[in-house]
Amino acid sequence: MINCPNCRNQEPDGAIFCSECGMQMIRSEGQDTQSIWPEPDDLGTAPISGRAVDMANVWISLHLLDNGQILSISDRAEFTLGRTSENQPIMPDVDLTPYNAFDHGVSRLHAVIRRLNGAVSVMDLGSSNGTYLNGARLAANNDTPLSHGDILAFGKLKIQVILNI
Amino acid sequence: MLPKKPNFYALLGLFRSAKPDEIRRAYLKSAKKLHPDKNQAAGETELFLDVQQAYQILSDPQRRAAYDATLPVEDSEAGPKSPLEYKIEISRPNIPSGNDKQLIYALLRLSAGADYKQIQAVPPLNVCLALDCSTSMQGPKMEMAQASAVQVLRRLKPDDIFSLVSFGDKAEVAIPAARQIDVHRAEIRVRALTTGGGTEMYTGLKAALDEVRLYNNPGAVNHVILLTDGRTYGDEEKCYAEAKIAADEGIGISGMGLGSGWNDVFLDHLADLTGGGTMFVREPHDIERFLSEKFNNLSRAFAQNVEFYAEVAEGAQANYVFRIQPDAGQLSFQEVTRLGPVLLDEPLAVLFELRLDGERQNGQSFELLKGHIEASIASILAPVPIIPVRIDVTVDDSAEPVGPPQAIVQALSKLTLYRIQEKARLAVEAGDYEKATQHLQRLATHLLSQGEKSLARTILLEAQHIEQQKSFTDGGEKHIKYATRSLLMPGERIS
Repeated sequence: MINCPNCRNQEPDGAIFCSECGMQMIRSEGQDTQSIWPEPDDLGTAPISGRAVDMANVWISLHLLDNGQILSISDRAEFTLGRTSENQPIMPDVDLTPYNAFDHGVSRLHAVIRRLNGAVSVMDLGSSNGTYLNGARLAANNDTPLSHGDILAFGKLKIQVILNI
Repeated sequence: MLPKKPNFYALLGLFRSAKPDEIRRAYLKSAKKLHPDKNQAAGETELFLDVQQAYQILSDPQRRAAYDATLPVEDSEAGPKSPLEYKIEISRPNIPSGNDKQLIYALLRLSAGADYKQIQAVPPLNVCLALDCSTSMQGPKMEMAQASAVQVLRRLKPDDIFSLVSFGDKAEVAIPAARQIDVHRAEIRVRALTTGGGTEMYTGLKAALDEVRLYNNPGAVNHVILLTDGRTYGDEEKCYAEAKIAADEGIGISGMGLGSGWNDVFLDHLADLTGGGTMFVREPHDIERFLSEKFNNLSRAFAQNVEFYAEVAEGAQANYVFRIQPDAGQLSFQEVTRLGPVLLDEPLAVLFELRLDGERQNGQSFELLKGHIEASIASILAPVPIIPVRIDVTVDDSAEPVGPPQAIVQALSKLTLYRIQEKARLAVEAGDYEKATQHLQRLATHLLSQGEKSLARTILLEAQHIEQQKSFTDGGEKHIKYATRSLLMPGERIS
């Protein structure tokens, strides 16, 4: 028997997905990163000071107004933001936990930012405390365009958007 | 020099080790196809005589032994080359000892051989459209169904055989099965169809099958498409029995369920018995699209009547068998499982979840599943060689664990969502609304992460509805079922 790390459901040996909550429990041959087990290093989100980021391909940077740190995103056109906690089926691509996400009221899967045909947009994923764009709360599950210099708030965590496209 | 004798085994598509009942079945299959009453092409009668001679010799143990002695020894194990390419992957080759329940997944794939993809020879159709004309079809449903039937009529090729049966309380043959139908007159017949009465599925099904039977032949795609918006009462078992007979005759059945009132469990099972599939047509204006898609699929058929004869090891069972493509749907695993067609440009993929119970010793090996696949190919005269299938696992406690193949994980990631949907539905039926809501919410979360936003939203609304009203919305459970199912298929999506 194996226990699902997410919902504690017991599955027989050899099960690959949890039949109760749908979580993948065994990794496949040659499968490196899956969105549910992200390896933070692969996401190009390390603070600039911490790691060399391929600056030529950075299309968006998130300026954390609280502490002045900047997260640069280069290698994906779409990423989710949120915080991590134990036994969580889906991990966000950008983990805001180190920035006091919990205290600021950031949901586990809070919002998604994506780039499509040169336009950047943000969508709230039904977070508990909402996403605010320049002070106005966004309706959940609706794409809203982002411009350079916009201030986004995930709950109370404020971030300035720096675009480079 | 002696003239080269035809190899009787190759002629019947058999291995040298074929058992008497396999020989008999292979003979009956080719004889049916090549019989002088049926065949059309030149040379088929000669081939029929060869097949008969082959059977006379191979079916008599003494003559068979004498014949075997004349064959070269070296090719005794090599089977004839199959026009079908076959591949099977399993989730893990080794299992631990002990008596813990074990799950093993296997993904079976069959596709048209590379040499045959070039040919693009599409078999002619022999199709009957059985149209529900009960009172509930009145209005836009009937109008769209009529318009779609007319579209189908116009697209028929000269070799295609088409018929149309309308049914309510009783069935009526509106267009009798024929080649080169007078489109103008047929259109008038279709437009003149009226609605009335209940839905007596059996009468409709029987009449439609009888039309297909008039011209049933292995060189064509023999099929009934059943379009209905209602449910039948009391004659389900009769329908199933009829579908089994049809399957044995090589006739397939596909269902198209319109709107929210039809019985999806019934229609899915009916189609499954013949290897066919069922489509959910939400709105009348979708009928035309789905019907033309169905016709497209039928005429892309390469191998048909793909039958899987299998036995599982003692202590093992097939928990769940699901066709991933071309037409996603659960299959009922039996002595003979009908897997559905292999299309020219799309493989047939079936996922098995096998379970093994009982005590196991280190070093022991299990033949979890053993059997063979039979199929017929309309465009090829000679019988298709049977394809042996085996799934083995070894009990080995020292083996390094290997991750399951990616194809299996991919298929399962989608199938797991479909099965959570099934669980939610069972929970609602059992009155456990809290559990149902929980399942739907988990389903929605996964869909959201896979980018299926609109479906995720629909499911969340449905979860809310269950919380408040203790039931699915009208047709909601069908929408979720067929939408999560369609996630498995490449290409078009129901949203």
